[in-house]
Amino acid sequence: MADKAKNPELIRLGNSQPSTTMLSAKGYNGDVLIPDDLAIRIEDLSITYKINVDTKKTLKNAVMRASKGEKVRMRTVEAVKRVSLDIPHGSVVGIVGANGAGKSTLMRSIAGIMPPTTGRIVVNGKISTLLALGVGFNPALSGRDNIILGGLAAGLTRDEIESKTDEIAAFADLPDGFIDMPVRTYSSGMYGRVAFAVSVSMTPDILLLDEALSAGDAAFKEKSFLRMRELVEEARTIVIVSHALATISDLCDTAIWMHKGSILAHGEPGKIVEEYLKFLEVGMLPSNLEDM
Amino acid sequence: MELDFDPMSTTGSKQPGKVGESAPLIQIFEPHKAQTPPLIPYFKEFWERRAFALELARFADKAEYLESKLGKAWLILNPLFLSMVYFLLVTVLRGGANKNTGLTTLAHILIGIFMFYFAQNIISDGAQSITAGGRLILNQAFPRALLPFSSSVRAFGQFWPTIPTYFAVVLIGKIFYPKTQIPLANLNYLWAPFIIAALAITAFGLSLIFAVMNVYFRDTSKLLTYTTRIWLYGSPVLWKPEMLHGWHRIFISINPLGPALAATSHVWIEGVRPSNSELIGMSVWIVLAMAIGTYFFTSRERDFAVRI
Repeated sequence: MADKAKNPELIRLGNSQPSTTMLSAKGYNGDVLIPDDLAIRIEDLSITYKINVDTKKTLKNAVMRASKGEKVRMRTVEAVKRVSLDIPHGSVVGIVGANGAGKSTLMRSIAGIMPPTTGRIVVNGKISTLLALGVGFNPALSGRDNIILGGLAAGLTRDEIESKTDEIAAFADLPDGFIDMPVRTYSSGMYGRVAFAVSVSMTPDILLLDEALSAGDAAFKEKSFLRMRELVEEARTIVIVSHALATISDLCDTAIWMHKGSILAHGEPGKIVEEYLKFLEVGMLPSNLEDM
Repeated sequence: MELDFDPMSTTGSKQPGKVGESAPLIQIFEPHKAQTPPLIPYFKEFWERRAFALELARFADKAEYLESKLGKAWLILNPLFLSMVYFLLVTVLRGGANKNTGLTTLAHILIGIFMFYFAQNIISDGAQSITAGGRLILNQAFPRALLPFSSSVRAFGQFWPTIPTYFAVVLIGKIFYPKTQIPLANLNYLWAPFIIAALAITAFGLSLIFAVMNVYFRDTSKLLTYTTRIWLYGSPVLWKPEMLHGWHRIFISINPLGPALAATSHVWIEGVRPSNSELIGMSVWIVLAMAIGTYFFTSRERDFAVRI
């Protein structure tokens, strides 16, 4: 396990040797090269954003403050700090870390939802995401309608997604006829299972999951794991953020521990989880623990 | 293997290589220059994803009227009843109307209300489209302007059935009051699609501004409810543009919807072409609303995922 908190050099996950065959693409600032064995390359990525810390985020409050010569109270959040990472095709990467560590922001930036403040992300392959439970489900519409909307939002054509709806319903273990019932009649488990089924049905090259495996019972979890194993066997890449540490240990072949926006450690999932658990219990970082 | 790729988008558009169907998709995400994403790839992806916006509009309509007994009939009944109420108010305030001018007034209010409500729906639904699309925004990368665009498509779907309604009311009115001067159709009606398009584009530009404001200040949409009511009273809908004289006519020009609504009255009620000042006014407001709206929206789009 390597301690990388103070060193933002490029981290290559996995044990394989880097490919020397390069793919070329034109970026905003010129040509970009990426080894053909990589699914994701993150280069010196930092993400900052401002949030309004006023309790009342209203126009009325802003006008009242302006009339008193005060500004709206803003805070700059440095969510991701100088992260550099290579993720080869066929990896299953787990990301652990406390709330506010930057895990979800990192996932959103890989998905293209949150563009970098500095640095660059190169993604080689089609992405499917499950970063927020529900995929924009409209509770008044049927499961079928919502699946079509979710698929269209993900960039599929209507024909492509319609041909998969029955398969999605079957994978999500929906009872007979429920696919055409309004989503508001679904249990929370059914809701989560459909969302997961939609994301894996898109045959993505790269699957990004943020706390998505909490949906469903033990049987569905087993089914989810099997489906993800199938994806990995097809050399597809999966990145999982989860607080369920057993999931990270069981499913992933590499793990990253993020702490306050940086990659604190990376390596074999069991060891990373063990160190992270020590941190949760004692509240000390690996460098401190080694001194104990 | 070295592949040659087209220019990339920083917003997530996919650029297939040129070596066959199995070529990989490479996406590059880099910092935005001048706060906005590169606009050509942005609009290219916007166009490629238009099916999503159209379906979203259709499904939003379906969800809204799913449990209503009168269903989509409300789309016509609502502005129709409102026009009747305003017609009664206007004629009562004026001390009554004779049977010929009464029909003209009714027709003017009717088409004015239909047009104004079309613009209002684009603006107010567009203003809420980003905050209402929370999970989609948190989960998927796509040009966010598709959400207010979807609201505009939906508003058009709700608007167009009101046009035959207008003709039906005028036709019935002309049967009972044949001396009325309202034309049912003439060559100047060919201006109508351009006026409708100008109104829609201006309203869409404004909806982009209000959509961003609603992300930052959640009471914007509530404020819009009252603002649009005052906006209606200040627009040539309940009164005719000719009622303003001299410098007072500036109130039509400074109103983003004013020139289009005044032109509506001229074409539909008087059967004449829009005045040059109305055509210039419409053009200026289209450019201003779209330029300011597009810049304001795209430059703030990055923040949506952390402010929803």
